[in-house]
Amino acid sequence: MEYQKAAELNGLCNGKILTVDSKKVAVQHKNEISRKEAEDESRLPALEAAYTTILRGLGENTDRQGLLKTPLRAAKAMQFLAKGYHETIYDVLNDAIFDEDHEDLVIVKDIDMFSLCEHYLVPFFGKVHIGYLPSKKVVGLSKLARIVEIYSRRLQVQERLTKQIAMAISEALQPVGVAVVIEAAHMCMVMRGVQKINSRTVTSAMLGVFREDPKAREEFLALTKGAQ
Amino acid sequence: MERFKQKQMNQNENEADSAINGHFDGRVKIPGWSAGGAAGTPSTAPSSSVMESWREERTRSLEDNEMSLPSIAAAYTTILRGLGEDPQRQGLLKTPWRAATAMQFFTKGYQEKIIDVLNDAIFDEDHDEMVIVKDIDMFSMCEHHLVPIFGRVHIGYLPNKRVLGLSKLARIVEIYSRRLQVQERLTKQIAVAITEALQPAGVGVVIEATHMCMVMRGVQKMNSKTVTSTMLGVFREDPKTRDEFLTLIRS
Repeated sequence: MEYQKAAELNGLCNGKILTVDSKKVAVQHKNEISRKEAEDESRLPALEAAYTTILRGLGENTDRQGLLKTPLRAAKAMQFLAKGYHETIYDVLNDAIFDEDHEDLVIVKDIDMFSLCEHYLVPFFGKVHIGYLPSKKVVGLSKLARIVEIYSRRLQVQERLTKQIAMAISEALQPVGVAVVIEAAHMCMVMRGVQKINSRTVTSAMLGVFREDPKAREEFLALTKGAQ
Repeated sequence: MERFKQKQMNQNENEADSAINGHFDGRVKIPGWSAGGAAGTPSTAPSSSVMESWREERTRSLEDNEMSLPSIAAAYTTILRGLGEDPQRQGLLKTPWRAATAMQFFTKGYQEKIIDVLNDAIFDEDHDEMVIVKDIDMFSMCEHHLVPIFGRVHIGYLPNKRVLGLSKLARIVEIYSRRLQVQERLTKQIAVAITEALQPAGVGVVIEATHMCMVMRGVQKMNSKTVTSTMLGVFREDPKTRDEFLTLIRS
């Protein structure tokens, strides 16, 4: 059932363990089956109809010039914003893992991130800082940003997003440790509700040596501090 | 006189549909620039042509909101399914209702009228220098993609014997921005509303905003900002006044 697969895809991390052997990794990667993009096309009419209902329910006149093609545009936009469900880590990372004798911190910071709040379907966006301590294997730098893209272009909760990114990197590289920090502004808090414009939410996921060794964590946080 | 009034009522009704978002389509009346009121209106007193565009019917009430909530929520459930998500999982259980209520909040400008907000806060004051309220945070929804737009509004006006309570300028921004909007139209609506309320010597409105439809999707240009402005009255005719306004909002 495709719903169940989607639930696994974006579901709770289910306590997947950090130290997995490569066979298990391959199996887990294959379980995240990607949806075909043709499915998107076939779902478009239903989404369009839903958006037309919404516009009418809000009291707007769906025949006025500015709104004529809005249901189609909004449906396509929403599909784009949820395109992370299509993609798997396996596809993105497969070739870009290299054997390198580097044993010091690698950080990619200030990765712009845009996601959708799963509670209100309103955007939240911010920056992601990723650091990892390689253990004989390094990954192509843009792949870290691609991992962020895959998991952020879904209906998300910031805590889960942070953990998923960290888990994906650990499973792919088996590094000594992974650290992910996300700082984001949530439109559901800014545009509505409490309406606190300057508030930011910061979440972090520290795995491996970053969790156990305070010095490693300090170094990571110090190097990403000048970021914002 | 009767026939004129009748014609006007019909005109208002016919245009009610296209005026749902108050978009003016060349129907803009700017009383006070030419002596004796805007062209096309039979009335000679400026106040009644002011009342005319304020007479645009409120298109939504709280009861309307309550009644349409279930259908909007059902539409959101369809959308969740259409994206391949499972609407029954814990995080998404109440999302259709939350999203529907949120969307109604983002379009609450349809429930409000300028006249309710402004009615009491116009004062007679002998001030004839520029009054500016700047950096008003603005949140709107793009009518083409239904994604947020946010930015800042700077408003300046040159009073002509009448000044407005300062927060009312921000409230005017709220009423017009909490709708499905196009930034150009939003700028103009704010300027015209202030003009009609106060008949000042001039009004200037500048909006600088980020459009999520450009940032999160499509071209994906993170740092782009869109700036629109509307200058009416002396702000349009006199370059020095306009300069002064633009300098003051920049500092």
